[in-house]
Amino acid sequence: MNVTPPSRATGSGEAPLVELRGVVKRFGSVLALAGVDFHLRRGEVHALLGENGAGKSTLIKVLAGIHAPDEGEIWINGHRTAIRSVADAGRWGIRVIHQELSLVPGLSIAENIYLGVEPHRWGLVRRRAMRADAARLVERLGIDELQEVDLPVERLGVAHRQLVEIAKALSQEARVLILDEPTSSLSEVETEALFSTLRRLRAAGAGLIYISHRLEEIERIADRITVLRDGASVGTRAAAGVDRRELVRWMVDRDIGDVFHRPAPASADVALEARSLRSAAVHGVSFCIRRGEILGIAGLVGSGRSSLARALFGVERLEEGQVFAGGKSVQLRSPRDALAAGIVLVPEDRRRDGLVLIESVAFNIALPWTRRWCRGVWPSRSRRREIVDRTVQSFRIGGADAEACVATLSGGNQQKGLVGRWMEEAPRVLILDEPTRGVDVGAREEMFRIIIALAGSGMAVILISSDLNEVVGLSHRVLLYRDGAIDGEVLPGATSLEAIMARLTGAGGRGS
Amino acid sequence: MSARTGARRVGPLVAAIVALLLFFRFVLGVEIFLSPRNLINLMEQISVDAILAFGMTLTILIGGIDLSVGRVTALTGTVTVYWLARNGDAPESAVELATALIVGLGAAAIVGSVNGTLAAKSRMPPFIITLAMLMVTRGLALSFNEARPIPVPRPEAAFLAIGNYQILDLVPIPVVVMLAVFFAMVVILHATRFGQHLYAIGGNREAARFAGIATERHEIIVYVLCSTLAGVAGIIQASQLNAAVPAAGEGLELNAIAAAVVGGTSFTGGVGTMHGTLLGAIIIGILNKGLNQAGVHFSLQYLVKGLVILAAVYLDVWRRK
Repeated sequence: MNVTPPSRATGSGEAPLVELRGVVKRFGSVLALAGVDFHLRRGEVHALLGENGAGKSTLIKVLAGIHAPDEGEIWINGHRTAIRSVADAGRWGIRVIHQELSLVPGLSIAENIYLGVEPHRWGLVRRRAMRADAARLVERLGIDELQEVDLPVERLGVAHRQLVEIAKALSQEARVLILDEPTSSLSEVETEALFSTLRRLRAAGAGLIYISHRLEEIERIADRITVLRDGASVGTRAAAGVDRRELVRWMVDRDIGDVFHRPAPASADVALEARSLRSAAVHGVSFCIRRGEILGIAGLVGSGRSSLARALFGVERLEEGQVFAGGKSVQLRSPRDALAAGIVLVPEDRRRDGLVLIESVAFNIALPWTRRWCRGVWPSRSRRREIVDRTVQSFRIGGADAEACVATLSGGNQQKGLVGRWMEEAPRVLILDEPTRGVDVGAREEMFRIIIALAGSGMAVILISSDLNEVVGLSHRVLLYRDGAIDGEVLPGATSLEAIMARLTGAGGRGS
Repeated sequence: MSARTGARRVGPLVAAIVALLLFFRFVLGVEIFLSPRNLINLMEQISVDAILAFGMTLTILIGGIDLSVGRVTALTGTVTVYWLARNGDAPESAVELATALIVGLGAAAIVGSVNGTLAAKSRMPPFIITLAMLMVTRGLALSFNEARPIPVPRPEAAFLAIGNYQILDLVPIPVVVMLAVFFAMVVILHATRFGQHLYAIGGNREAARFAGIATERHEIIVYVLCSTLAGVAGIIQASQLNAAVPAAGEGLELNAIAAAVVGGTSFTGGVGTMHGTLLGAIIIGILNKGLNQAGVHFSLQYLVKGLVILAAVYLDVWRRK
């Protein structure tokens, strides 16, 4: 490696907080980072953009001390350095909020925040001091949802767990805070709360690296944007006044068409009708969906949207109410009952409920169809192969051989696999719970096309999403879901997003 | 066919077997080279452990465990022989023998169905359920004949043949039973939908359920299978000993777990094969035989076996990283 001159002068005249020069990282023959240049200033939110596989995660792991770069230099505060371990990164004040939650479910909020750095005296944990510290921290960060610091984390929803994760990262000095898709499970209100916390940190001089697939968020929060493509930095520019389409083109190096378009609503047979459904988390829900219709369910995190989906799939018990599928009353006591009735669910958390992560792509795709390829005693490899090939081809699941481990696929491809595998026998009703969560821009747009195409083929699609744009943009009708019940119905186009949001949060009243 | 094919596992296991044989031959001077006679001998010695280990592999594969199998062997043996001895020295009949075997295996299956039902329907961990059932089963077995051994009644030559007869004066029945069980389990685990579903349940129970697999029914069947195989082992054992010993079976579950684990079955679930388990049982069998023939004191034998198991599992974990 060459001896390099001292760092170039940056805009503010001082050395950048973090500077990467020509960072290269290889995994075997795969070039994950092909020479990345990146610099982060004090007091800025720096968005890192790129499709899945562009190298964002690897770059973060280099900064977090998880991967050592093979080539290139890391400068922090004008010092050339190496980040050899997570502890090293911590000493430089680099904190990462990972996409995968790293909390201990059985421990309380306070215990999780101070996990590993518990205040102690003579070897004993000072519980009261820890709780007081946690309460102060939560208050300082303005995260009101976490006020009950003694609550075990397992009783919190995904969104609140995310907030615990953030509080944990900020409990220690954070000069550089890295956020990887922090809002993927947050509602609009929670996102805004997070943003105000981030703005405060920025004002205090911290440098923030922000990764998200949601361009509208990046416009709201970021000061500068760096785009990665194929493991290399394509460029850095100011976020102000950036054109969204140009940004997408920059990322994917191809023009993508208009994302949202709405085919005319079909008037056809009723595919599914629910009458006064009640369960632990569903409080009297009735609705009806026709063949070929996309029915959006908009609701904040914690409104119980997923419980409705799970009840319809037989995962959560229904205590009361009736479901009619194709005109016939059906009992939904297990996913098997739901599948027999033609109801399919692609779950919110695909790693927890969807995939057998230690198995291959083919295993996961063929799993629901063993009766087709394991007829008799000996399984037919060729029949299995046909099922897998059909799904892989028609849903364009790229990136890996079908026999490769499913965990190596990008989020978008995993999600396409989970949707696609049910199309072996077209279901009557397809329930999609957060189908674009953790999915990159290109795959997200592809998912939209898939949804529209499936509805066009006569399938009824129930679409649940935290992303209001997405629900409103794709659906023929949108149900507003609040506290386990339907709080009205809107037609896209007839009501503004702001008005819908106001009703969902309870700020707008019902009169509109 | 599972994606976790056994092919990758077989290499290291076979290498370990060869290494052990060479070690015993050239370092300790013990001959266990695999002449047909020696091989059959070895297979006979491992037959009970291997049959238990095949069932254990299924439970570990779905993320569970069955600690009760050792005591189930004793219960089955006791119930079977007790049933035979009921009639005193009346002449033997095929019907009577068949009934006795069915009653004995039925007792084993009942224990298995309790294990399985509790594991599937309650939220108790299988470790605790089967630990409790170990004690229950032991109590049941000991309640027969004041816990004293029950000799097999004299005329039951057919029952005694199960453990002692050698086909063509060469292949003992236990070896035949063990191999039959092995091939049956290979088919069940590696060829049927049922087996495919077990890998899914072990890999991610929720994902399996969401894919429409009846996870609870599968779990119950696995525990019933495991327990029933323990019953088969128990019948062989009682026949070999010419008596049912209510207090028998101690620690057999640990041998079974050891064979499964050395053979590559992962405690996190979703990984493991039947041929791996068979090779695991063979490795432990060779160790037993070799150390015995070398005249190693039994205290040292345990120590060596423990270290070998640790080394095997460590290498496995390290290789998977």
